[in-house]
Amino acid sequence: MKLNKMIYPLALTIVLTACDKYLNVVPDNVATIDNAFSMRNTAEKYLFTCYRYLPSHASLTSNPAHTAGDEYWFYTPFIGFDAPGWQIARSNQGVVEPILNYWDGQSQPFQGIRDCNILMENIGRVPDMDEVEKKRWIAEAKFLKAYYHFWLLRMYGPIPLIRENLPISAGVEEVKVTREPIDDGFAYIVQLLDEAAADLPPSIEDEQNELGRITRTIALSTKALVLSTAASPLFNGNTEYVGYANTDGQLLFNSEYSVEKWRVAAEACHEAINLCHEMGLSLHRFSEGIGQFQLSPETVTQMSIREAVTERWNPEIIWGNTNSTAVAIQREATPPLDPANVSNQNTKGNLAPPIKIAEQFYSIHGVPINEDKTYDYAGRYNLREATADDKYRLQEGYTTAGLHFDREPRFYASLAFDGALWYGQGRRDDNDPWTVRSRLGQPQSKVSSNRYSITGYWPKKLVNYQNTIGTGNTYTIRYYPFPVMRLADLYLLYAECLNEYSGPGEDTYAFLDKVRERAGLPPVLEAWKQYARDPEKPTSQNGLRNIIQQERLNELAFEGHRFWDLRRWKRAHIELNQPITGWDIDQEAPENYYRVRTLFNQSFLMRDYFWPISESSLIRNRKLVQSPGW
Amino acid sequence: MNQITKIHENQNKIMHNAGKYHCVLHTVPIKLLVMTNLTIFFLTLGCLQLAMGGTANGQQITIDARNTDIETVLAMVEKQSGYTFFYKKKDLQRARSVNIRIKNAPIEDVLNKLFTADRGITYHIQDKVVMLKAVPPLSRHTTLPPAQVMRQDIEVRGLVTDSTGQPLTGVSVTVKDKSTVGTATDNNGRYILTVPNGSTVVFSMMGFEPQEFQIDRQQVINVVLVESASALDDVVVTAFGGRVKRTDMIGSITSVTPKDLKVPSSNLTTALAGRVAGMIAYQRSGEPGQDNADFFIRGVTSFGYKVDPLILIDNIEVTATELARIQVDDIANFSIMKDATATALYGARGANGVILITTKQGAEGPAKINFRVENSISMPTTNIRLADPVTYMELHNEAVRTRDPLGDQPYPQEKIDRTREGVDPYYYPATDWRDALFKRYTMNQRYNLNISGGGNVARYYVAGAMTNDHGVLKVDQRNNFNNNIRLTSYNLRSNVNVNVTKSTEMIIRMNGNFDDYTGPIAGGRQMYNMVMQANPVKFPPYYPTPPEQSYLKHIQFGNHAEGPYRNPYAEMVKGYRDYSRSYVLAQLELKQDFSFLTEGLAFRALMNTNRTSYFDVSRSYNPFYYGSHSYNRRTGEFETEILNENEGTEYLDYEEGPKEVSSVFYLESALSYNRTFREKHGLSGMLVYIMQQRLSANAGSLQLSLPYRNMGLSGRTTYAFDNRYFAEFNFGYNGSERFDASHRFGFFPSAGLAWSISNEKFFEPVKSVVSNLRLRGTYGLVGNDAIGRPEDRFFYLSNVNMEATGAVFGRDNEYSRTGVMVTRYANPHITWENAKKTNLALEVGLFNKLQLQADYFTEHRYNILMARDFIPSTMGLTASVRANVGEASARGIDLSADYSDHFGNGSWIQGRANFTYATSAYKVFEEPEYNEWWASRLGYSINQEWGYIAERLFVDDYEVANSPRQNFGEYMAGDIKYRDVNRDGQISELDMVPIGYPTVPEVVYGFGMSAGIKNFDFSVFFQGLARESFRIGVAETSPFIDNDGDAAFLSNNALLQAYADNHWSESNRNLYALWPRLSPTRVENNIQRSTWFQRDGSFLRLKQAEVGYTLPAVWAERLWMKSLRVYANGTNLLSWSKFKLWDVEMASNGLGYPVQRVFNLGLFIQL
Repeated sequence: MKLNKMIYPLALTIVLTACDKYLNVVPDNVATIDNAFSMRNTAEKYLFTCYRYLPSHASLTSNPAHTAGDEYWFYTPFIGFDAPGWQIARSNQGVVEPILNYWDGQSQPFQGIRDCNILMENIGRVPDMDEVEKKRWIAEAKFLKAYYHFWLLRMYGPIPLIRENLPISAGVEEVKVTREPIDDGFAYIVQLLDEAAADLPPSIEDEQNELGRITRTIALSTKALVLSTAASPLFNGNTEYVGYANTDGQLLFNSEYSVEKWRVAAEACHEAINLCHEMGLSLHRFSEGIGQFQLSPETVTQMSIREAVTERWNPEIIWGNTNSTAVAIQREATPPLDPANVSNQNTKGNLAPPIKIAEQFYSIHGVPINEDKTYDYAGRYNLREATADDKYRLQEGYTTAGLHFDREPRFYASLAFDGALWYGQGRRDDNDPWTVRSRLGQPQSKVSSNRYSITGYWPKKLVNYQNTIGTGNTYTIRYYPFPVMRLADLYLLYAECLNEYSGPGEDTYAFLDKVRERAGLPPVLEAWKQYARDPEKPTSQNGLRNIIQQERLNELAFEGHRFWDLRRWKRAHIELNQPITGWDIDQEAPENYYRVRTLFNQSFLMRDYFWPISESSLIRNRKLVQSPGW
Repeated sequence: MNQITKIHENQNKIMHNAGKYHCVLHTVPIKLLVMTNLTIFFLTLGCLQLAMGGTANGQQITIDARNTDIETVLAMVEKQSGYTFFYKKKDLQRARSVNIRIKNAPIEDVLNKLFTADRGITYHIQDKVVMLKAVPPLSRHTTLPPAQVMRQDIEVRGLVTDSTGQPLTGVSVTVKDKSTVGTATDNNGRYILTVPNGSTVVFSMMGFEPQEFQIDRQQVINVVLVESASALDDVVVTAFGGRVKRTDMIGSITSVTPKDLKVPSSNLTTALAGRVAGMIAYQRSGEPGQDNADFFIRGVTSFGYKVDPLILIDNIEVTATELARIQVDDIANFSIMKDATATALYGARGANGVILITTKQGAEGPAKINFRVENSISMPTTNIRLADPVTYMELHNEAVRTRDPLGDQPYPQEKIDRTREGVDPYYYPATDWRDALFKRYTMNQRYNLNISGGGNVARYYVAGAMTNDHGVLKVDQRNNFNNNIRLTSYNLRSNVNVNVTKSTEMIIRMNGNFDDYTGPIAGGRQMYNMVMQANPVKFPPYYPTPPEQSYLKHIQFGNHAEGPYRNPYAEMVKGYRDYSRSYVLAQLELKQDFSFLTEGLAFRALMNTNRTSYFDVSRSYNPFYYGSHSYNRRTGEFETEILNENEGTEYLDYEEGPKEVSSVFYLESALSYNRTFREKHGLSGMLVYIMQQRLSANAGSLQLSLPYRNMGLSGRTTYAFDNRYFAEFNFGYNGSERFDASHRFGFFPSAGLAWSISNEKFFEPVKSVVSNLRLRGTYGLVGNDAIGRPEDRFFYLSNVNMEATGAVFGRDNEYSRTGVMVTRYANPHITWENAKKTNLALEVGLFNKLQLQADYFTEHRYNILMARDFIPSTMGLTASVRANVGEASARGIDLSADYSDHFGNGSWIQGRANFTYATSAYKVFEEPEYNEWWASRLGYSINQEWGYIAERLFVDDYEVANSPRQNFGEYMAGDIKYRDVNRDGQISELDMVPIGYPTVPEVVYGFGMSAGIKNFDFSVFFQGLARESFRIGVAETSPFIDNDGDAAFLSNNALLQAYADNHWSESNRNLYALWPRLSPTRVENNIQRSTWFQRDGSFLRLKQAEVGYTLPAVWAERLWMKSLRVYANGTNLLSWSKFKLWDVEMASNGLGYPVQRVFNLGLFIQL
């Protein structure tokens, strides 16, 4: 009976604890979005979150500009690294799972835009920040928001503009945004950039901690790029997309050409260049003399070109992406240079520029090889033995193709090939550099089944000369923030805009020649006058356009510009419909090796100018129209 | 007063006379005795009053008890009649538990039923005092009046056992038509009875088919009693320890006889398929430790993460692993609860059905010892056939050539020729990787011991089991460790019942379950996968160590300079992984009978805690890889060179794996009431309160680390009228911490009705044919809070990762900050997923031999949580927004049929079949507004797959160029051509249509029979499933491609013989070949989900067959045993299916560790 008496209270206690408190298991300090703006420290995290969505400019996997065009080719079946972009180059883009899908795929700039908006809305609440800093952060967020829009616009053409965030609870119809006319898109991006530029510092003061963050210089340079893009043939007066409209009939492309766009762009370039100069930016020059070695002028010129890209924060860099440093791309660009250690797994050397890229560089006289009257263009595939004169360009006494002789320094700085020299990578004496020999059985030939160049070329330009190849699998790579924009790019844009707006002129030549001069080439007028079959070419707007474009392709080769430039100039359907060719790398004898082998017949349709939006996105938002042709 | 005195006098007299008698009222204190006497006094007064009123009826007694302690029954009789019993406790031991069902009968009838001589007890009534007296057991004694004794009396003796050879205690042995002659079997199942010659002896016991024997000078009659079909699950265990007679059931609960779950496997879940009506189950892997079957009750109706049933062992929620490890010998009851009323008391936890297991408890008596030992041989049911190395090389060359004429031929003709000649197995290796890695069979052992017994204060059931399962992996003798899979599982269980007071019972249950595992680093499944990913001709498993290098302590594993390739043999023997898993449970249960307050009231409280822990350690060396070169064609000599001198190690390194610890605390209290009023009105009620908390030590994030809690109040009330009409109402009121406080609690009511037509008067005429006819129906609401994903703890809170990817800046990239990422947006409106469940059932019994039961069920789930699909990516959300918007329905039938019969010569036969059909359909599914009707999920099963219709292979490149564009990468002639369903000129997602059957079978069935003749018994059991589709893994079986998913290694998939025999080639343009055009790389076009690689998963298999022999009792006795049974059985012996590449039950998991065929020898001893 005693036990019974105990059981009643026990039972009652048990039942009475049945209160809601038992289920309140969450303590008060669980992280929610409110925490992000409670103090400067966490708000800074949010600012960095906004940066997170910047495209990985150095990435061979996610940046279409590297692998989705025609600058590189690969062996088949390619197992070197994940290169989805190459499938675009091989015409395998589709609407089911678009390749490099920045709309609703892995990397989504739209998320970045939303975060930028959230930062702009909430930064005011942070108690321990001064107004100047808040303004700066808002300006950075604005820039990023503009850049994300620009990234999408370049890919997809007309896009929805996310001026403000829609609430999470937004209704079914509200969330169905539509594409906005292309001109509105450019205008909105430029507006954001202008607003951002006003509050951004012109340059970074705390370089140790902040280099890589957005400055006014970056904002204005980007604005120059945006406006030049808006003025370019793809978006200015393009009649291909007449009638391309939203479901409600709103036209998305303006087919009327406006030369004014070029003027605005030129002004923007000018403004940006002025600010750059003010901030002390200049074209990079390699400092002569490494240790005990006195380098030849030829080597120095080549190194200036290489180092303008690969030297961290050289004076030419306007915007280096610290969140996308060049490491993997250097590994892929480096052939196994050390003949004693060809099995080094980290000198992959898979990036293979096709012959057309090699042919695009100028002759030693600074004119295209097919225009140079002194250049044996027809006999360019004939064999020739390098002499002492070619000492700093080719291996003395080695037989290679005529194409590799008498080319501009950028050719030798940018490319490695059978017979080439390779300064750096531990070889500091330019009289004793690494040699590249890639015919069958030679050290840089196809030694391993998964590490070789299918064309016989390598993009030497991307490899920092201070990288060292060690024993075993060691390859010490000196990373560099990938240059999103450098001064030479801006100069050439300016020249292009001026020529488009007002034709050849003093300033046009001047900025073009600045770039040529650093590349070791004579001024454009002089070069054409002296060596070109058509010496008057630079004096006409059309001729000069041609020259500026080729100059740009050569100067910025392998830096992720060709892909967008060809599209912007509406030349992609011509250039990307050429066969991809390479040398017959499986051959031992030079006469067999130097036979041009067609690797692939690229095909670029008009629809390929813009990315398709995935079918599932379109089904989800019926108001969204597909990109033209898809 | 007079009365009382008289009783006391009587009492004294009795005690005096008997000498050894003492007054026993259970274990009663004097006080109670006085109370009883007082009761008797008042009752007598009552009688007198009634007598004066003219109704002189004797006390009517109604009792309904099965397997109930006889003393409990006596207590009931006392209570209802007012009579007092006197007996020696010892005398009742022979008939400890009784089955009696009697209604409104006078006490004499009750006593006759209880104590005719067949129980070995006689009674004598005098002045409302019943004296019980034992008939000496095993004696020639009968209680026949002398006049009826016949001269030709003969003595019959023997043993009564059940169909598994276990002796049955308390079986009544009577002479037909002479109910006064009889006895009962003793503790060892033995009896002796003197009967008139020529008479018929009847052996009967509740729950078994009675058997009759004509006595014709037979001296020994051994009887095997067969469980009667009608009474198979006579009492069904319901929620929270409730018990209900099958004949009173309203809800849908299936009980499984535990011995039907006895399979030669250490994993109980593998026995479920086809044994239980209403359960969908299948097994995808045969790897020890990874071979749990998947099982669902009535299919899958939710698209949340929790679709499997709640599993309870002794009321405690456990995982499928604990279910897998429980010993069948320890199971007392196994019930499956399927409809709303059956699971109602479990509230939210029972939405997907409940599996309820109770373990055995001790019974009063001397120690009973059972021992079982089994040894089995286990081997894969099927092995996948791979092409020979020469074919492999030729077709690999063809694959390259046919796709790209410029491509490199991987194998020179010389290598092919030399390999064909077999000149040098090391330089020109032709490795059968499967043979190098796996044995043909392995041996497993299982031991099981349980002891039970007890006295009247405490009873115990103690069991221990050990199982030892091995994998089929080979071991390299040069290593001194064992890399084969060995899973040793120990199980210890102790259930102790203590009578604290007369009305208070305390039960202590302790259970420990321990798995010790060693196996290859990557696991068995991965080893099978590696065989599929290994190139047979690149290198041998290892090179023999040349004599001059005998100082080397390592094995020279084969590899290739181009590599490194993955060498499966090296991966297997390079080390081993240990894991230990422990599950310990301690449970205290108190039962208090409150009958002294009001009759039928009882209270029960249960407190439980259990701990699970797991840790994992790997030890391995880095294999040294060698390549071969400099082959001398003339001498056949070659050199090996070390390929990874710097990476290889000769010593073991060690790596710690996950360490998981979790604890559960559980509290349950229940108040129950159970009483019959005025004989016809049965009323019962139950109120249950539960609290549960689960904590994980290494949950991974703050929100997940917070305790998981669940609490609920639930109730049940039932009413039965005259065994004909039954009604039931239940509710569950549950709270879940996952929801916002405003709708944290949910109320889930359910109700049911049943009608036993066969108990109606008008049914009497046909009752001999249709012995049972019953209709049942239930309807109710069930809730589920296990929605979304397990990592979504609190839907009303946002989940923000403050350590997400951020950015980095600075001259040398030295200033970095993490980023902020919302992984869940807060939504306070998210609440319970609900289901409305209906169950309609018909039960038919024929001739008392065949029992049929059919249930039809429907379910409508709503408020299913799903992502708001209309939100486009342009919103920029980093996590999906979700809401309770989904709806799904399900319906199906469960059928079961049980048959049993026996024949005069002691042979018996049983048959059993069941069938489950369950299908589901999306009712409301958040999806885009498709213009194509076939794209919508609505109306299709939750497990339906969508895919392309593969028409055939492309004839040529011209056809490729002129057919609708297929958007999946490069394709050419010989690749799969898909149908452009919407005719928009390209193949895109909109051309996907529902293909095949769902991936979870909709039909699962099983049937079997068992029979016994003399000492032998046989059984077979067939099981099958239907309406299931699966797809052959295209990437996994694509020959030659690198599919190991590890960038550090190269690999080449093996070539299935079936593909080698039947593929498209330029010379043989078979448009319907099994495999499309060969390719050295993955062809995305062919990998798309399509009908091309979809197969029918249905099969029928001979799941189990068994032969057993029970040693004749006389022999067993000589061996000091009560019984001994030897048996041999086998599982997965035969199967019938259209699919031949691998065991079809494994479906798309076919390249994994195969399902096993087992031959088993077992011995069961009872002491």
